[in-house]
Amino acid sequence: MANLTIDNVKKSYGKTEILKGINIAIEAGEFLILVGPSGCGKSTLMNSIAGLEDVTEGRILIADKDVTYTSPKDRDIAMVFQSYALYPNMTVAQNISFGLEMRKVPKEERDVEIQRVAELLQISHLLDRKPAQLSGGQRQRVAMGRALARRPQLYLFDEPLSNLDAKLRVEMRTEIKKLHKKLGTTIVYVTHDQIEAMTLADRIAVMKDGEVQQLGTPQEIYDNPANLFVAGFMGSPAMNFIPSKIVEQNGVPMLELNASETTALPFPNPDSLKAYVGETVLLGLRPEMITEPQPHKEGQAFVVTTGVEVEVTEPMGADTMILTRINDAEINCRSNPAYPAKPGDVINMMFDTSKAVVFDAKSGRRLDV
Amino acid sequence: MKNNVVGRKTSGVDKALRIALYATLILVAGFYLMPLVVMLITSMKDAEEVRNGTLLSLPSYIHFDSWEKAWSSACTGSSCHGISPYFMNSFKIVIPAVAISTILGAINGYVISLWRFRGSNLFFAALLLGCFIPFQVVLLPMARTLGWLGIASSTTGLVFVHVVYGVAFTTLFFRNFYQSIPGELIKAARLDGAGFFTIFYRIILPVSTPIIVVTVIWQFTQIWNDFLFGVAFSGFESQPVTVALNNLVNTSFGGKEYNVDMAAAVIAALPTLIVYVFAGKYFVRGLTAGAVKG
Repeated sequence: MANLTIDNVKKSYGKTEILKGINIAIEAGEFLILVGPSGCGKSTLMNSIAGLEDVTEGRILIADKDVTYTSPKDRDIAMVFQSYALYPNMTVAQNISFGLEMRKVPKEERDVEIQRVAELLQISHLLDRKPAQLSGGQRQRVAMGRALARRPQLYLFDEPLSNLDAKLRVEMRTEIKKLHKKLGTTIVYVTHDQIEAMTLADRIAVMKDGEVQQLGTPQEIYDNPANLFVAGFMGSPAMNFIPSKIVEQNGVPMLELNASETTALPFPNPDSLKAYVGETVLLGLRPEMITEPQPHKEGQAFVVTTGVEVEVTEPMGADTMILTRINDAEINCRSNPAYPAKPGDVINMMFDTSKAVVFDAKSGRRLDV
Repeated sequence: MKNNVVGRKTSGVDKALRIALYATLILVAGFYLMPLVVMLITSMKDAEEVRNGTLLSLPSYIHFDSWEKAWSSACTGSSCHGISPYFMNSFKIVIPAVAISTILGAINGYVISLWRFRGSNLFFAALLLGCFIPFQVVLLPMARTLGWLGIASSTTGLVFVHVVYGVAFTTLFFRNFYQSIPGELIKAARLDGAGFFTIFYRIILPVSTPIIVVTVIWQFTQIWNDFLFGVAFSGFESQPVTVALNNLVNTSFGGKEYNVDMAAAVIAALPTLIVYVFAGKYFVRGLTAGAVKG
């Protein structure tokens, strides 16, 4: 196991900058997820770590050793690809042992390693098959087996689950997490699926346009997004952004809310908004912070209950999503399925702003920090 | 489906149309095969019958004398050993030329598809141009080049020419085939520690059988049937069978021996026919099958 340091890495093709100075450091045994929309540079960064693409500027260190100009095979890393990239002419066993063979590991040791990996991933019965005879999930396992066989210092996963169907994807996600707990390996994992990112990562790097927008634990990123992009990207359903005017009541800045009546929401860190009184900002409020009135929360400092008009309800089983319109923005609320809400009704909803965040409406910059 | 079949049986119009269709097909096929039939029956007649009979009349009894003569004793120019020495010459040219141009094409295609470099598309475009150059244009420069290399009028020289002009096509074949191989396969192998040639030999070549068959058939046919390069660049000793056939037909003492000419022509065409018969189905399959699924 090894730590990984990415030090001011830049990459450009001609005038197009793909990576604009990436700085990430992860500890040995850590599970880092690179997440972002397509074209954000996450795959380029992954290829740069692997050595499959040269960086224009900056350094990459694995186990405190500068590998920026080391060839891929000497970096001691293994990679799992989106398409699995299994060698079509070789059996599963040959696929798993190819890397060992290239490193001149003796036959007996290779056979032992094949058995170990096959048992770990429960693919012992598939060892003599060719990739074409395997199902998608089995191929996925073989691809992981190939990476595990070499016991490298660093594992790279490039969207490994995106070719699987939904059910299998969830299963393999859990499997990867278990495997990481069991083996304690250092993993860099690229995905565009924010649920995968939340569930798997020790830390997440949210990327956009070749820059890391935020690097932090899943909870940090969920609760405390650095900017509008991160706030909107992470979480499902997405965070609500309510355009809201900052008004002063008794010298304290509050956020104006126009639902069935006009009210003002208190804010945990009002001093940070002093400079914006009279301006319209974006109030970020997660759906689970707008609920049916809950008696135990009644009277808490940052809780306000007001009537809203129901536009649509979406029962999801555990919760029912209520869609409403506040300050001319569509708002998602998460309520108890037992709460009687019908389209067209005006019902009371409880707004909890204890975890609310505020962004500049134009630049998307976080204002309350 | 079943109803359809029953309906077809009862319809007289359908039947008539079907008969007309087959009649047309047979007519066209017959027309197309006529030259071959004439060649075969003429080659089996003796000289007397050729002179007296009509073109399509069958031989009264089958002679193979003219085949024997064409093979071993007919005169091509001043020597009278039949076409057999030239037949061997052709093999000496075709086998190395096919092998080398196929190997080079495979490596070129591998590089252009899977190891892209700055300007690799331009390189490929330039190479592709080679497929469209009429060979007459390059005769003189090539003659000078061969002379300069010291391999003019030799088998080696002919092999060289065929390799140079074959590589454009073989590269095109392999490049198109390798386009369907995912680049991630190469990346995975590089991370596994395999180098350029190891990847080619262990991973790419084993999935290339269909395109190798296509390329070999194509190149074999092209080079075997070549007359222009053969007549322009061969020496007296290295003439391919196509040139010898021409000489044989043009050499006559007294009457023209059409039966011998025909026999020689059939012999000269046999190898390509045999290749098609045995590997033809792979040819069609290889041209249509592109995807290598991982």
